[in-house]
Amino acid sequence: MISRVADHCFWLGRYLERAESTSRVLGVTRNLALDVGLNPRHVWLPVIIVSGEQERYAEAGQGRTDDGERVQDYMTWDDENPSSIVSSLSAARDNARSIREVVSLETWEALNALYLWMGSPRARTDWREDRHAFYRRIRTSMQSLQGIVRGTMLFDDAMHFMLLGTMLERAGQTARILDVHHHAFQALGSHEVIETALWLALLRACSGFEPFMKVHRGRVSPAAVARFLVVDPIFPRSVRFALRAAVSRFERLRPPDQTDLPGARSAARLTALASWVAALDKDFDVAGLHELLTHVVDETAAIAGVIGSELLGYAPGPAAEMSAQ
Amino acid sequence: MDAATPLLADYRGLPGTWDELFTESGAPRPAFRRAFDALDVHTRAGFAVCQGLAERALLNQGVTFSVYSDQRGTEKIFPFCLVPRIVSAPDWAALERGLVQRVRALELFLADIYDRQRILADGAVPADLVLASKSWFPQLRGVRPVGNVRIHIGGIDLVRDPKGIWRVLEDNLRTPSGVSYVLENRIISKRVIPDVLDAARVEPVDAYPARLAESLRSVSPVDPDETSAVVLTPGPYNSAYFEHSFLARTMGLELVQPADLFTDRDRVFCRTTRGPRPVHVIYRRIDETYLDPEVFRPDSLLGVPGILRAWAKGNVALANAPGNGVADDKAVYPFVPDIIRYYLSEEPLLAQLDTWVCAREDDRRFVLEHLGELVVKAVDEAGGYGMLMGPQATRAEIEDFRKRVQAEPRKYIAQKRLELSTCPTWVEGKGQVEPRRVDLRPYVLNGREGPWVLPGGLTRVALKEGSYVVNSSQGGGSKDTWVQKPEAT
Repeated sequence: MISRVADHCFWLGRYLERAESTSRVLGVTRNLALDVGLNPRHVWLPVIIVSGEQERYAEAGQGRTDDGERVQDYMTWDDENPSSIVSSLSAARDNARSIREVVSLETWEALNALYLWMGSPRARTDWREDRHAFYRRIRTSMQSLQGIVRGTMLFDDAMHFMLLGTMLERAGQTARILDVHHHAFQALGSHEVIETALWLALLRACSGFEPFMKVHRGRVSPAAVARFLVVDPIFPRSVRFALRAAVSRFERLRPPDQTDLPGARSAARLTALASWVAALDKDFDVAGLHELLTHVVDETAAIAGVIGSELLGYAPGPAAEMSAQ
Repeated sequence: MDAATPLLADYRGLPGTWDELFTESGAPRPAFRRAFDALDVHTRAGFAVCQGLAERALLNQGVTFSVYSDQRGTEKIFPFCLVPRIVSAPDWAALERGLVQRVRALELFLADIYDRQRILADGAVPADLVLASKSWFPQLRGVRPVGNVRIHIGGIDLVRDPKGIWRVLEDNLRTPSGVSYVLENRIISKRVIPDVLDAARVEPVDAYPARLAESLRSVSPVDPDETSAVVLTPGPYNSAYFEHSFLARTMGLELVQPADLFTDRDRVFCRTTRGPRPVHVIYRRIDETYLDPEVFRPDSLLGVPGILRAWAKGNVALANAPGNGVADDKAVYPFVPDIIRYYLSEEPLLAQLDTWVCAREDDRRFVLEHLGELVVKAVDEAGGYGMLMGPQATRAEIEDFRKRVQAEPRKYIAQKRLELSTCPTWVEGKGQVEPRRVDLRPYVLNGREGPWVLPGGLTRVALKEGSYVVNSSQGGGSKDTWVQKPEAT
């Protein structure tokens, strides 16, 4: 497959996942702010940190993180903010539009319809009048879209690159969300009722509330939640599950026995990270959580970079070398 | 007259103008009787509903073109009129022969111009005119393209004069566009007015992508089964991107951008996730001057450095071949009948428009004396730009063109304004059909086996009342073109 096309597929997958994740985080944080009588700053600051946009947000003169409306507006509508829902959607659509001959017609139509709605006055009205429904609409649209992709496209390299992007993004997002909340909770000091509410909100932010309850039969503890989100083998949004899915997509793209194909470094690092996370299951230590999650976040970003240079054409190719002469 | 009136009741053509569907006395042309009866079953109100359905379907399918002037890259649909333009089987058979003859002759002309230039030495066509063309590239002289084809895809624009005679308006031998609308328009006709289409007994057009793919593979430097062919687009912000993507999709070929390709030892490769992959045939929808910065624009970052060397060595086929513009130059156009006679020793089958070439002194004098009656066109502009419509122009416009012609005579030609034929066309604001002027662009494919004409084509229609300009950039729309099947004998 052409590297540029693969690159569009990879980023289409990442942006779809990012838009979904952002809408979920905003929706859940808003609920949380209503539920517990916390300082709004403790509730909303993590949202900005998770997106990696703390600096830009401060620069934009919007430093106030105790204002939930401002944070939501910035994370939903600001087209200068590359992590906002509107930016993610428009980047996803741009990627899809560049590879219309690769993306199925139904996928394109569904994504285009969502994009057009997001730009319509109707979306602003929904945002003002029923915030909850607004976030839910984005989330369910993205989930339907993921279903349409799987139901209408060939399971060929294009699909594998999309899902590789989706799964790497997901592993990073789950790790970030967990890390930032974990931090914030510690800063709070312990108040058992509030703490439990916070951990439940965190589970909801990762669509993990019901799955967690099924596995743990209602017993909520910080260690159990953290462990669930990192190493649960069958929860589809756990770091471990997402990384394993990424490895399996990667191996379809580059079978491990075909060592002459490009991608050796990507394969080695991705597999190493996935095995490392899986091995944490043995003696999971919540005390080392921050270091663990930092490693996951850094490493997923680095792996995306290596995949870029080995497979997606980021490295200067022969043509660039020739014209440089 | 009300909404319940049959669609074509009281339709009247324009005086002194050929109408595609009706005779001068107002009766439907006998060949189209069955189609007419099926069409006239629709009332105006009923047809308005059908027309609305057609427009919505085009928007939903994303059959759009981008508008350059809009920074946000707004996509618009190409206006479509559901009333078909019908061509009878005998008319089409004659056209087809004429088109094949014309493309064969132009192909021989290009081969000669980029080789020994016999035709210029023999004086059959003036050398100064040809070699002054902006699209003549001396650096490509001596190249013999693999497969010996240069015009893989030709789009020949035709109009019909008041006597019903087809005349060639211009040739498009570089990157003719619009064929995706031909195929999409047919899908809409099938969906919205299947009864009429059925009654008219129309030749299908949907074989085009397969024929094009086959024709591209036929000129490959390697075995057709081993051939890797791609469609080369400038990218999604090009106004014809929909068509590039459409053709790649329907031919099952990959759509690439210049940065996806590179050359190594005069061979072309595509960057893939499994390393470099050889490319043998490139259907390029990118202007030739942006193809290879080594040859045309050293300052350009676009293009694929070295691609023309690979082409010159016969390692890759480029469709269409670079340099074809010298044959569709509007100043060379008046000599196409001589070109046909020279290479084929045949009389031209298709008529043309009388043309004055401003580069020639006698012609120029005549043009300058009659600017108010003539249509003056810049030889290197398309899309209805750079044009003076004398009979409709203001004094100031005429004086402006007088200066331009005097300053750069080689740049201009002039023709009498032709009363282009009309076709009944749905007028949205009035809820009825009225005569509007049309042209026709048939598509000719050319591979190792010789030319093939798609039975159909793009009918463009000047939607504005009284307008003679059919270009989409100037308020034109399109119609489905129905070529009737020959009567079984």
